[in-house]
Amino acid sequence: MLKITPAELKSVGKYIHDISGIYLDPSKSYLFETRLGSIAEEHGCASYADLHNKSKRDGSKRIERQIIDAISTNETLFFRDTGPFELLKNKLIPEMIDARAPKSPRLKTNVKIWSAASSTGQELYSVAMTIKELLGTQTDSYNFKLLGTDISDSAVKQASYGKYNKFEIERGLPRATLQKHFTLFGDSWKIKDEIRAMVNFRKLNLMLPFAGMGKFDIILCRNVAIYFTLQDRKKLFNKLADSLADDGFLIIGSTESLTGVCSRFAPQRHLRSIFYQKK
Amino acid sequence: MNDLTILVVDDDPVIRRLLEQRLGKENYEVLLAEDGYVGNEILTKEHVDVVLTDLMMPGDIGGIEVLEFAKELERNIEVILITAHSSVDTAVEAMKKGASDYLQKPINFTELFLRLEKISTMRSIMRNAEDLRQAMDVTESAAAYTIQNLEMTAGTLQGKLDKIEDTLNNDKMDPETKVATSRDIMNNWS
Repeated sequence: MLKITPAELKSVGKYIHDISGIYLDPSKSYLFETRLGSIAEEHGCASYADLHNKSKRDGSKRIERQIIDAISTNETLFFRDTGPFELLKNKLIPEMIDARAPKSPRLKTNVKIWSAASSTGQELYSVAMTIKELLGTQTDSYNFKLLGTDISDSAVKQASYGKYNKFEIERGLPRATLQKHFTLFGDSWKIKDEIRAMVNFRKLNLMLPFAGMGKFDIILCRNVAIYFTLQDRKKLFNKLADSLADDGFLIIGSTESLTGVCSRFAPQRHLRSIFYQKK
Repeated sequence: MNDLTILVVDDDPVIRRLLEQRLGKENYEVLLAEDGYVGNEILTKEHVDVVLTDLMMPGDIGGIEVLEFAKELERNIEVILITAHSSVDTAVEAMKKGASDYLQKPINFTELFLRLEKISTMRSIMRNAEDLRQAMDVTESAAAYTIQNLEMTAGTLQGKLDKIEDTLNNDKMDPETKVATSRDIMNNWS
């Protein structure tokens, strides 16, 4: 595998931060090598500096996309930690439905939910399945808008397609849920259209301004800020506070904390989980 | 050391015996069934890692049916089909239904052992990943518990500080009331 030099660690590290917001510890050179080595090889680069230059000059941004795909961690699974989904089902979604009850019975209740780092889609589909479990056939009488965003093109693509191999499926998904919401597709499983129709995915770099996205009622931003520097984390949660309705809910990863990161949110505990509301 | 249990389903006694001998020699545990019915019965009773089944067998239960039955029973089971040259299309169809692989008759044992080795390696990687995942889950839930408690405590303290700050900045209070109120907030308010 192509070795990375100390100078390259610095310049490539900065470049990755610029294009993705992801901070890679320069002391972990193997992270750079294992993730970027094959891309460098594919483009016939003799060094990582070479790859860096090629990527900067590449107007199609194909190499940049490849680098982002390789660097971003797509570790995710259906119903990762059951806590947040129980929280959504038992408290946050019912409360939000009541809070958004329309004045006229002819109007539908609008609830907007955003999975800010949706990876390959498991989290947002889990939210959709949770809503379906909660509301059953009544789901259609509410207007749920579920948006998933991620920086990786290939992750967004897989999420949109909604097809998962048996290894991705077997982790976290109870058999009954699987049979209810998925169809067997060769050795893979595809999410059923009625769940697929509830969600939308698109590419978004959390470091850039959230233009034209409006306000959300519930935001999930789990296990992504851990890859950012404290400074970037502060900026991110400040922007998320701007994007959250005043009475909205924020869910972060179970081992994450907003202490010292963003003072605009106050934590609240429900059963085994914590969620945040704006102060 | 091979830790796979292999079920051979074939109506031809010669092939059954041959597979039993060759797989046995490689230290695989081998179970035999002379047709799909017996094969399915063994599947429900015994633990099987790999099914090696003939595609065409007399009776209603052929290789495809054994494949479907096995997959329905245990998603992790690997099924390798043995086919005549003429039924390659059916074998490809079977791959779409979840078969791991197919072998053409006459069986090339080097090829077969290679596939089994691959399955074995894959299994141990999966097991290792599962162990790591479990270890991570334990660590994560312990960390989450600690962090959540700290987060709630920090939230409560921040709330107190905000109130004390408001009190101290309150121009309508005299200094003594400010101190007394701040002390009350520190001690009582939660």
